Amino acid sequence: MATEVIWWIFALGIIALSAGVVFSRSVIHSAIFLIGSLAGVGVMFVILTVEFLALTQFLIYGGAVTVLVLLALMLTRADPSGRAEKVNGPQAPFALLAGIGVAAVLLVAALSTEWAGNTESPTNIAIEAISQRLFEDFGLPFILASVLLLVALVGAIIVARQEEGE
Amino acid sequence: MVPLENYLALSAIVFALGVYGVLARRNAVMILMSVELMLNAVNINFVAFAAYLDPGRIVGAIFAVFIITVAAAEVGLALAIVIRLFRNRATANVDEAATMKW
Repeated sequence: MATEVIWWIFALGIIALSAGVVFSRSVIHSAIFLIGSLAGVGVMFVILTVEFLALTQFLIYGGAVTVLVLLALMLTRADPSGRAEKVNGPQAPFALLAGIGVAAVLLVAALSTEWAGNTESPTNIAIEAISQRLFEDFGLPFILASVLLLVALVGAIIVARQEEGE
Repeated sequence: MVPLENYLALSAIVFALGVYGVLARRNAVMILMSVELMLNAVNINFVAFAAYLDPGRIVGAIFAVFIITVAAAEVGLALAIVIRLFRNRATANVDEAATMKW
């Protein structure tokens, strides 16, 4: 019972904060709403009893990604005077239609499907089980993902670097 | 306990909000933030499926690990490109950088 109350509080919180991200007029407010929304998803992982992913979520999204986004916002301030700029393009009403359409299709598909198996309560996924699957059966994708991360970060440094004579 | 469908509905709503943000926003960093919302909605789905329907093989949880990794790489590289764009064009709005000409 208590789990359900907590779930609803955090689910409505995630939806409200995500709406704040996409409807807020200020980029900084959007970034702060994003931090809350990502932390809420981490709490969802805790309620799903997948502790490893909850920790990863808090560390990588709550820490690293949001700091990167805030730094990028700081470095790309077009107008330091804070003049109100148009945040949405002229296509925004059609984007709203597309969003409502996507939501309708996904909700109908998810709620009308008969899921095979236990849909009542989650099973705890232990850290040991995840590490065993990750290192035994998904070893090659794991190594490839680390190479991808290395290449992307080196590429990011090269792209953002100040060149001679600039 | 919370049934699986609740997670699916939550994920669908957050994903649709992300779709709206990607399509409507002008600022490239805002578009990236909306992409992060969509990736997180997908992660909720994967982890919920792993914990409810597939606790023996947990492929969904493994997928979520890879999504988080690739999302981190994506956000780092994309923000470097945004900073580059801002240095060359003095704007971070995608509709002012539509010519593919430097």
